[in-house]
Amino acid sequence: MLELKGIYKWFNTGNNRTFLLKDVDLSVKAGEFISIMGPSGSGKSTLLNVIGMLDSFDQGEYHFLHESVHKLKEKQRSALYKQYIGFVFQAYHLIDELTVYENIETPLIYQDVKTSERKAMVADILDRFQIVGKKDLFPTQLSGGQQQLVGIARALIARPKLLLADEPTGNLNSKQGEEIMSLFKQLNDEGVTIIQVTHSEKNAGYGSRVINLLDGMIVNEPVVK
Amino acid sequence: MFRNYFIIALRKINRNRLFSFINIAGLGIGISAALVIYLVVQHEFNYEKFQNDRDRIYRVTTDLCFSDGTLFPNSGVPMPMPATVRSEVPGLEMVTHFITANEAKVEVPFVGSESPAVFKKQNQIIYADEFYFRMFTYEWVAGSRQTSLKDPFQVVLTETKAKTYFGEMKPQDIIGRTIIYDDSIKTTVAGVVKDNASRTTDFQFTEFISLSTAQTTGLKYHHGGDEWGSINSSSQMFVKLDGATLAQQVEAQLPALRSRHAKTPAGEKDGMENHLQTLTDLHFNPMYDVFGRRQGSRSTMLGLLAVAIFLLLLGCINFVNLTTAQSALRAKEIGIRKTAGSTKGQLIMQFLSETFILTLAATILSVVMVPWLLNIFSDFIPPEVDFSSLNQPHVWIFLGVLTVAVTFLSGFYPAWVLTKFQPVTVLKSPGFTGKSGTGKPWIRKTLTVTQFVIAQFLIIASFVVSKQIQFSMAKDLGYKKDAIVYFQVPFNFFDEKKDDRRFRLVEKLRLIPELEKVSLGGSPPASNGMSTSDLKVDNGKKLVQMMVEMKYGGENYFDIYQLKLIAGRWLQPSDTVKEYLINETYAKSLGLEDPLKAVGLFVDRGKKIPIVGVIGDFNTTSTHTAIKPLAYSFETENNYVVHLSLKERGDQPDLWKQGLDKVEKEFSQLYPGEELEFTFFDESIATFYKKEQDISRLLKWASGLCIFISCLGLMGLVIYITNTRTKEIGVRKVLGASITQIVTLLSKDFVKVVLVAFFIALPLAWWAMHTWLIDFAYRTRLSWWIFAISGAGMLLLAIIILSARTIRSASANPVKSLRSE
Repeated sequence: MLELKGIYKWFNTGNNRTFLLKDVDLSVKAGEFISIMGPSGSGKSTLLNVIGMLDSFDQGEYHFLHESVHKLKEKQRSALYKQYIGFVFQAYHLIDELTVYENIETPLIYQDVKTSERKAMVADILDRFQIVGKKDLFPTQLSGGQQQLVGIARALIARPKLLLADEPTGNLNSKQGEEIMSLFKQLNDEGVTIIQVTHSEKNAGYGSRVINLLDGMIVNEPVVK
Repeated sequence: MFRNYFIIALRKINRNRLFSFINIAGLGIGISAALVIYLVVQHEFNYEKFQNDRDRIYRVTTDLCFSDGTLFPNSGVPMPMPATVRSEVPGLEMVTHFITANEAKVEVPFVGSESPAVFKKQNQIIYADEFYFRMFTYEWVAGSRQTSLKDPFQVVLTETKAKTYFGEMKPQDIIGRTIIYDDSIKTTVAGVVKDNASRTTDFQFTEFISLSTAQTTGLKYHHGGDEWGSINSSSQMFVKLDGATLAQQVEAQLPALRSRHAKTPAGEKDGMENHLQTLTDLHFNPMYDVFGRRQGSRSTMLGLLAVAIFLLLLGCINFVNLTTAQSALRAKEIGIRKTAGSTKGQLIMQFLSETFILTLAATILSVVMVPWLLNIFSDFIPPEVDFSSLNQPHVWIFLGVLTVAVTFLSGFYPAWVLTKFQPVTVLKSPGFTGKSGTGKPWIRKTLTVTQFVIAQFLIIASFVVSKQIQFSMAKDLGYKKDAIVYFQVPFNFFDEKKDDRRFRLVEKLRLIPELEKVSLGGSPPASNGMSTSDLKVDNGKKLVQMMVEMKYGGENYFDIYQLKLIAGRWLQPSDTVKEYLINETYAKSLGLEDPLKAVGLFVDRGKKIPIVGVIGDFNTTSTHTAIKPLAYSFETENNYVVHLSLKERGDQPDLWKQGLDKVEKEFSQLYPGEELEFTFFDESIATFYKKEQDISRLLKWASGLCIFISCLGLMGLVIYITNTRTKEIGVRKVLGASITQIVTLLSKDFVKVVLVAFFIALPLAWWAMHTWLIDFAYRTRLSWWIFAISGAGMLLLAIIILSARTIRSASANPVKSLRSE
């Protein structure tokens, strides 16, 4: 599905060059459920952002579904991820001024989906996540677990091929975390490719493969904290 | 998609009520000002637009040029000129001539009634020739332009005038009826035309008597008869070019025509120039009056335009500043929307539609504010412009265009700043405060400085203008101005026999105990009108000839106004001119070092008339003009103004009223049915400075509104800054900072902005006010303390606004602000 070849990302402070990502090679097949692990500052989120095309890189090649991402212009890149990728954030990142319904609907609006179709799609997902009763509430009126549920619903609404999740359970208690992870497992079983960043071995256990990062490099052995 | 934008916009506005209010109020005031000035400009430039062939119609004016270079522009022409031009100047399709008449008494006889219906003081009457209605566009209700105004003693009325005189009679039935003017001119109604009242025109006459009527009565001689040398602005001439001829070509033929008929000796100039004035220039050219009507002023409109632009600009600046300062709060939303697939263009559209909604709210508010602004600026606004003027399609179009323009002006930069946020930086940390993404702080600072420069400039300007008005009013003008009242007694040109009632009136008034002194004389020492003569005086060495202002004194006149005699003696009472009293300036202009020596010289006016005294200089008009040569004579024949000096009121506040009531009683016994109008001398002097007082009022309001909008913006910025620095304030307090230290810390940047604005405004204001004051012959000084007080006032206001907020933040409990982190 996607392939990273020799990806480097760095920034310069004075004469020193600090590497965020260093010679990263990664190949992801459709249907995988990958967990990226590593200590703080090891470049997990950066890697996820590069995969999600939210962040650029300085060197290397990135192929996504036969498109060469490193050769695309910003507009084409955004068209690409808008179609195939959904994001889930640790801090949920819902828009406070919009209701649950409107938050979930937003990606569809940007994909020019017709109103009637949007209604049906949002209704489906609300039903599936069992949050129909919450659809007119604003994010601040929900618990953390419920907000993340909305966040996932929003990420899935446009039926992406790839779901990127940056510590999706980081702000949740363990029970809520478990629920979210089993939901991910279920989605993966249905065919959605998932890449998640996590600190927790337990969460990583839900996945099919673990990538360990240290100082921007992929290492073979799990890093001991 | 737009529904989504609008929903979020409305929720944002509702959530940030204070900032929304600041934005809407600021923009609303600006838009309202722009709307009012649009109405004014639109009205003023619409004059005479409806006249057919208006591009070919010109008024002929006459400039009198005197040997000393002074120019007296006159909107009229010599009486014999129109007929001569009509027959002798080629290239003209038509020439019309009319005379504007004074107020008249009108009598309308009715069948079956012994005494006619009487209408006093009817105005807007003209004597017009038969070409008038062919040149200017009128709609006929009865009669026709072919049959009207050809013969003497015909009259055409407008519909409203016809209604006044004949009530509900049908226009057709009014034709042939009789109307008598001033007991002597008996006319027959020949036609009725529609009123011009609803049209934008200065031709608002309501009664048109055939010009030939004036030729056959004594009226002609009152307006100058057949003389080519006499010009009266009531004698108006309009020409219509044939389309192939240029105005200059017609103008060029007029000097030869004049000298041919006026019989000027060969080689001599007659001191006259005729010009052709376009119909559109009529309403705007202050050199030539339009039938005594209010004229439009291009400079006033420029002033209003500047005010409108300032206010609009300030509102937009507030919007830009508040929105960009707050943009960090929206960073998260932008990041989310971008990851959800929004393009930059879509985000810009979203923010512009938000701005549009705010602007739309401001526009609605501005329409509500229009009556208020019309009232504030009423001195500058044509009376025809009112709230109902809004209801025209082009006004709504203007408002629509303005709303969109303001939306772009104030919305584009913030939208651009906001959409530059990179989702990855915004979304990475949950506590993103985004100092880096709020646009360039120097842009916000520059905009705030601009606001305060404008406000500061206007404060200084209004300060200087009021000081100059006070200076002009308080200056020792050289005469007494308090407790003096004057009024005009009626006179009738048509009466053959002399009217001596005014002498009897003065005798009676002298018996009224509340009056100190009574005088019958000419106009008061300072008045709006003036008459001048070309006087020749032999100063012993040579003949000195110059234009001299002429005034008529009278018994007690010099006493009442307390003019000062420097040399010689006062004038002796006389019916006709026997001797002159001149002012010091005239004495000096005669080439005499010692004004005393003027006494005993003679003025050559066909016969030799002696100068018997010299009086101290005083201003005969506003302090705009320097004091000019002046001569007083005593001519009872020309005296129609009664001057009264009132006794000190002391502890009797009603004393003056009692006195004037008695004057009124005596007056109505001698002049039954006539109206008496008192003028207080000090008030009439105040009217010289009406223009300045108007400017002062405009400036005060403009600066007030500018200060209001700027301070709103300042308040918004302070609230924002204190909010974002809550944590810093908490940490500093924990480390032991006092409230004063924190307030100083928070206010320092804003105080700097106000100070910078002051130092930019200072030279600008100094230069502008210096230029304005040069126009006055007697002017107040631009003292340093004007600038100091204005600057200090602005600073104080800013500090009050700042501290209202900063003190609250500084005294908040640090535990609270740190816990939330």
